Amino acid sequence: MFSNAEHSAAKNFWFTAIFWLLISMLAGLVVAIKQMSPDFLGGTSWLTYGRVRPIHTNGVLLAWLSMVNVGCMFYIVPKLLRTKLWSERLGNFTCVLWNVGITAAVITLAAGYSTGVEYAELPLWLDLAVALLAILVAVNVLMTIKNRKEKQLYVSIWYYVGSLVWLPAVYIVGNIPSELVGGAMQANMNWFYGHNVIGLWFTTVGIGTMYYLLPKLTGKPIYSHKLSLIGFWTIGTFYVWNGPHHLVNSPIPLWLMKAGIIPSILLIIPVWTVLANVLGTMKGQWHQVQDNVNLKFLITAMIFYLMACLQGPFQSLMSVSAVIKYTHWVPGHAHMAPFGAFSFIGFIAIYYAVPRISGKEIYSKALMSWHYYLSVAGFLIFAFSMWIAGVMQGFAWMEATPFIETVRMVAPFVAVRAIGGTLMIVAQFFFAWNIYMTMKAGKAFKVDRSEDVSATA
Amino acid sequence: MDMEKSAVGIFIAAFVLFMMGAFATVILPFYDDQMMATSKSAEARAYAAGSAEAMGREIYIREGCNTCHTQVVRPVKADLAMNIGPVSIPGDYQNDKPHLFGSNRTGPDLMWVGARTSAEWNLAHLKNPQEIVPGSTMPKYDYLSDEDLDNLVAYLMSLKPAQ
Repeated sequence: MFSNAEHSAAKNFWFTAIFWLLISMLAGLVVAIKQMSPDFLGGTSWLTYGRVRPIHTNGVLLAWLSMVNVGCMFYIVPKLLRTKLWSERLGNFTCVLWNVGITAAVITLAAGYSTGVEYAELPLWLDLAVALLAILVAVNVLMTIKNRKEKQLYVSIWYYVGSLVWLPAVYIVGNIPSELVGGAMQANMNWFYGHNVIGLWFTTVGIGTMYYLLPKLTGKPIYSHKLSLIGFWTIGTFYVWNGPHHLVNSPIPLWLMKAGIIPSILLIIPVWTVLANVLGTMKGQWHQVQDNVNLKFLITAMIFYLMACLQGPFQSLMSVSAVIKYTHWVPGHAHMAPFGAFSFIGFIAIYYAVPRISGKEIYSKALMSWHYYLSVAGFLIFAFSMWIAGVMQGFAWMEATPFIETVRMVAPFVAVRAIGGTLMIVAQFFFAWNIYMTMKAGKAFKVDRSEDVSATA
Repeated sequence: MDMEKSAVGIFIAAFVLFMMGAFATVILPFYDDQMMATSKSAEARAYAAGSAEAMGREIYIREGCNTCHTQVVRPVKADLAMNIGPVSIPGDYQNDKPHLFGSNRTGPDLMWVGARTSAEWNLAHLKNPQEIVPGSTMPKYDYLSDEDLDNLVAYLMSLKPAQ
């Protein structure tokens, strides 16, 4: 019933992930439009703002990004270890289950069965399903590592192994039922989850993937292996402490806020090791960016990653948080790493691997360019409108401006955000169409010279 | 042990590092008195099962009100200037299961909304926010049944500091 063909599980994870990317980003556009005109798709509980928003967040995080990550692990781990995936059949079975689970999740959320806990809205039975899926993925990847022919573990593998340890642990803490832990304690655990699922799953898998792709795309080995390991151990040490910085100035003890703030600032270390490695590898290779859309995506992703991780520590400071917390600034920041950095890495992985799996050249380079430019332009419009609106709101609230005045004041920016968001989504339709046409009508793919370069330095 | 060849070594080290941070930021707060206390306002939020307030809270969660409204008053200039009630403390939330802190104020904070609005105002506002507050971007909840609306209003009106 389930295919055992090499790389079929990775391919199926990626292709279905693209479907969920479109669906969940459309849900995002719906909420963006609802913030402009609340009657849009109104009058029915199934499409009310408060239900569509969790569909957007769960969709992009649990469906699109997580499935892309699994696809990356299923493709890259066998490549790096010169060992076939332990079980393609299990991988394909996991993929089918994952899609069934997400479909059930969308229906459940639209029907209003939410736990009410942000980013952990899924009810317990779906949480258990997600946990099962994570275990199935971990078993497949870890067994592949166990059976490996290549003994040396390249840094991508380090990141993947770490992520597979951290994801289940983070997920459990975040989804403990409210009946057991409620109140401020639960809020603290909520943000432990909300923060670490980004930092110890999306970031670490994304960086692992980036470390595989960069040498492949440039034909140059990673600048410094040691630096990449310093990056890995510092993110593993500091990231997990960051949860409480989401509750700065909120009703939690001061010591807990500080336990979250100080490691946030130290996080600049792992971010900078990654950036230094990228810049070092790119030295003398910058001309390649000009005609390689994948490299454009990669460099842009790393710039957004750096920006997100400079904004983060800055926002965690009590004085800064006092201005921008609860404002539109936050969605501007929150989209930068998941979209601008790690979705971009996902796009590259798919653009890079699909020709190598299917033997077909990417259908249109022009569409790839459109995908890149619209994604970047759309995101910048989105983010800057939110950042400006957020700062305006923050200072207006301090001046005791009536709340509705502040809503009217930022309305133009909310409208511009929807325009930026529309561009971001149009870009993804180009992406999906391009991948679809590649499979349908792509020319034969010839392996180029860069394949000869080993990823390991 | 050559770490660069040992997946088990990485696995264990990654787990130990994780547990250090988890212990400090998740386990230790359980031993903080301030975190575990129950305030008078929290007692007022211990709704009897099946009460209008308890059912109203379910509707608040079901319709995702917390995606746009916080229930936190911070000791910062903005919250004090907006005059949204006393600064909230961990003890105020002891009976909030789940917590409804929220993370975005697309709409105003509702921690003590019952202290500054009336039941009639809330009912009319839920049915047609734009009629009551021109320019509001809140959805109309006119699709809710009268019973749901009454329960939701009862919940909102219960959100006030203990005397």
